[in-house]
Amino acid sequence: MRDFKIAEPRTADELAALLAESTESARLMAGGTDLVDELKSGVATAGLVVDMDKVPGLRGITAEKGGLRIGAMTRVVELAEDAAAGRDYPSLKEAALSLATPQLRNAGTVGGNLCQRPRCWYYRDPQVVCRKKGGFNCFAYQGRNKYHAIFGGSGCFIVFPSDLAPVLISLGAQATVGTAKGDKVVPLGDFYAGPEVDVTRENVLAKGQFLKSVWVPGPKPGQRAAYVKLKERSTWDFALVSAAVAGVVKDGAFTEIAVVMGGVAPVPWRLKKAEDALKGKAVSKAVIRQAADEALKDAVPMRENGYKVDLVRAALERAVLAAI
Amino acid sequence: MNSKDYIAEARGGTTRQAAKPKPQAQAQAAAAQPAAPAKAPEYKYIGKPTARVDGREIVTGRAKYTHDIKLRGMLIGKILRSPYAAAEIVSIDLAPALALPGVMAALKLAEGKVRYAGQQVAAVAAVDERTAEKALGLVKVEYKTLPSVVDWERARDAAAPQVRDDRPNVGKLNEYARGDVEKGFGEADVIIEHTYRTGFEVHNPTETHGSVAAWDSDHLTVYDSTQNIHGVRDGLARAMKVPAANITVIKNYMGGGFGSKLGANDYTVAAANLARQAGRPVKVLLSRRDNAVCVGYRPSSSQTYKIGAKKDGTLTALQLTNMASGGVGDGDDVAEPAVDIYRCPSCKVFEETVYTNTGASRAMRAPGHTQGAFGLEGAMDELAAALDMDPLELRRRNYSTKNLGDTGMPYSSKGLDKCYELGAKAIGWERRNRRPGEGGGTGPLRRGIGVATSIWFGAGVPGTLADIVLYPDGSVEVICGTQDIGCGTRTHMAVVAAETLGLEPKDITVKLGNSDYPWAPASGGSLTTPSVAPAIRDAALKAVERLKAVAAARLKIEAGDIVMADRKFASKSDPAKAAPFADVYRDLRRETVFHGERGAMPMDQFAFNTFGAHFAEVEVDVETGRIRVLKYAAAQDSGQIVSRLTAESQVVGGITQGLSAGIYEERVMDDATGNPVNPNLRDYKIATALDIPEITVLFADVFDPRINNLSVKGLGEPARVPSSAAIANAVYNAIGVHVREIPMTPKRVLEALKRKEAAS
Repeated sequence: MRDFKIAEPRTADELAALLAESTESARLMAGGTDLVDELKSGVATAGLVVDMDKVPGLRGITAEKGGLRIGAMTRVVELAEDAAAGRDYPSLKEAALSLATPQLRNAGTVGGNLCQRPRCWYYRDPQVVCRKKGGFNCFAYQGRNKYHAIFGGSGCFIVFPSDLAPVLISLGAQATVGTAKGDKVVPLGDFYAGPEVDVTRENVLAKGQFLKSVWVPGPKPGQRAAYVKLKERSTWDFALVSAAVAGVVKDGAFTEIAVVMGGVAPVPWRLKKAEDALKGKAVSKAVIRQAADEALKDAVPMRENGYKVDLVRAALERAVLAAI
Repeated sequence: MNSKDYIAEARGGTTRQAAKPKPQAQAQAAAAQPAAPAKAPEYKYIGKPTARVDGREIVTGRAKYTHDIKLRGMLIGKILRSPYAAAEIVSIDLAPALALPGVMAALKLAEGKVRYAGQQVAAVAAVDERTAEKALGLVKVEYKTLPSVVDWERARDAAAPQVRDDRPNVGKLNEYARGDVEKGFGEADVIIEHTYRTGFEVHNPTETHGSVAAWDSDHLTVYDSTQNIHGVRDGLARAMKVPAANITVIKNYMGGGFGSKLGANDYTVAAANLARQAGRPVKVLLSRRDNAVCVGYRPSSSQTYKIGAKKDGTLTALQLTNMASGGVGDGDDVAEPAVDIYRCPSCKVFEETVYTNTGASRAMRAPGHTQGAFGLEGAMDELAAALDMDPLELRRRNYSTKNLGDTGMPYSSKGLDKCYELGAKAIGWERRNRRPGEGGGTGPLRRGIGVATSIWFGAGVPGTLADIVLYPDGSVEVICGTQDIGCGTRTHMAVVAAETLGLEPKDITVKLGNSDYPWAPASGGSLTTPSVAPAIRDAALKAVERLKAVAAARLKIEAGDIVMADRKFASKSDPAKAAPFADVYRDLRRETVFHGERGAMPMDQFAFNTFGAHFAEVEVDVETGRIRVLKYAAAQDSGQIVSRLTAESQVVGGITQGLSAGIYEERVMDDATGNPVNPNLRDYKIATALDIPEITVLFADVFDPRINNLSVKGLGEPARVPSSAAIANAVYNAIGVHVREIPMTPKRVLEALKRKEAAS
């Protein structure tokens, strides 16, 4: 581990200013469950680590404008156990509980989960300089890629590992980004950007910006949602493929629907074609299969991850049926 | 590795007969081994559940592991390892590292070629970890990289880079033949032929490898995380050119080894050399990454079985070809189950190993047998399906009471039939699908039940020594130079001594884990209990004889009239005549040592083996390829069980490891970087507590006085051998297609289902 300085700003403005003014490579620390590991293993280096823990107002879940605001420093366990969140957004609770282990949920934060770095095993090897780390090659493309992307890879085939992001996007969440010039709000779906935009990061945060909170709109009448996570072992596992479905159901059909997949693309991956194929039709296994067929036309599996195509079908079917 | 070589190595080659007498203690003349009883005696503690005598130490964190050792003035040593799978070392410059304040020693550890990523190149010792780490970064190594190959299938190509200078990439490992297989296949009504593959399983003990070396004048003391204190001492003596008498190796507590800690390691030698150079103790601990690259793993296998049988299931011919890979070292010979478990008149084996630019494999919990059981038992189940027979019936029909593969001698005891019976009853064998995949199930879930068999060695090592020391205050010490690698050796030592002396296990002070103590073999090969327990029993019986004579004089009765129980000596004919134990000890007036030895067994007349049958019930999701093990029953023939709780725990561990290797664990190598992509516990997935089913552990309790004076056989490896295989066969029974490759990841299960779909 290289030496680094640590800063503990006491206000959001101070935090933004520190990030904006920092001439050294600065890294934000929320729960630290992953960042510390990255620093120790040498995957990441930082001249300055900015600890968000002392900034007031970033932790907690509050009712706001009919919906819920979830502070970036809210611990995952607090989200999983929040009564209002559990009542209004069962798929969000499901996702929070499916993530990592109790120890990691106690320490890890919602903001950290949404801004986490990829688990690609080449990226995580301190000896490998891949495209994401400023190199020229994606080693996964022709290498070992059973956990890698089947959608949206563009010179980098990581998958975005978050469980919370697909669900929050399916629920129409908005991200509040703190900047030195004040807050700005973006739909969470637009918060993420694939390798074609900037291969070295997974979201649109510019220098000096940080995720402050997310706001989830209140449930609409007839809103249904579900989250299905397919993994290899029972716990402490990232999704091989996950599916978040949310929408409004009337007479056995979705009048509105969002389908967002995890574990399949460098960003949470919206299956627009599946949404279109499902919207307005009475839900049946045949209809879901057709929707999956449509969406999977865009899939580009590599040598070792073709099985994810089958998992997308299974996850989609299960999530849609669970939601309805 | 050949499993017999492994056993021979664990046995420590020639055994030493004499132990150092304890100073100022009266040495007891070695008596002839008393004859074993004709049937199992009624025991008070042996075979009964006894809480671990060191359980409190362990769970309260007071037990000191090698990682916990802190000596005065101790330095931290770190090892620089090659990032390249093949390279020529042009130069190593230690000067910049030595110039860093706080760095006290540095060594070059390689010259010429490095042949795998993770190979030692240089080492430093510094006042603390941060300084040592920094110094490592300052060592200047100039490499000239060479072409390498880490993919064993590619390594077979003629165009692949040659891994070892002394031989081609493919070499013969093992060849065996009996009878005429061509004739056998000619007589067969049914012949099946399939290939089964096993991946690279990393030992990953909780406690990573490590050593602390300290010199006191010309005496070297090493605290080592090892399964073999005597072996490490002898290996260090050779490597350091120091007399073995000047080396002491200590290991008190250990967090697992599974075969990866059986000898003296290069990092231990480095620690000793750094310590000598610095004139201060040095501690070298390996990292989790190191565990994946430089201290071994279970080699892969690709086993093709061709088996012929008559309509009634009688085997006529069995042919096995195997391609193993163990990196720069040899792969495992996997043939033992195939040549020995079933009574097949003809059998032919040909095995090769493929060299690659990865670290050498090491023995891992039943080397060869674990892979072989997966292949053979999978093939037996596919044969049973082809014959439309109950897989258990097929196994029973070909039951062998002789060691056909090697000596042809009868097994001294074989309780496998009893294991089949006990396990089948516990799992509810009659509930299985009559034919594989026939059962159906709700939605995408399919259930199935499978069985697999094990054979292993584990009779123990004659010549193992142990002492019992009686002190004048009535306290008792049992001393043996064995090591408790986490399995409960301390507990069984206390149980045997207490049982024999009429005391309670808690009355016994257990000493082990020091190479100055009487010789015992490596804790590998399932040798520990059947070696150590009989030696202690022998010492304790000698103590009993002596004490009874002393007590007889005191009580004025015949020694033959004395019963020792409940911490008392009492007359059988007149229970009023009794004396407390402590009083009789006092009559000895001084501490007294009784030497015990594990006696010989009639190896020229009988084969001595352990057996077991495992049964698993699984549920498979045919849409996601996910396997859940619902229920498990394991029945073991390990002779007399000494300490029931730790024995059960050992079996649960073997099943857990087999489940984990069967479904999750696999080191993935990358040819482009020459390194594993998952040298950690995140992507190298090990089963969690939530993945482990309800487990029933059963013991066949076979009595065999020919083995040793307690009828004890080993258990550690037998518990692991058939566990992946039983689960794979249950999956076959559930979904109607054998996955034929472990780990059975969702990817492989889905691919197998596609194979089935394409075939129908």
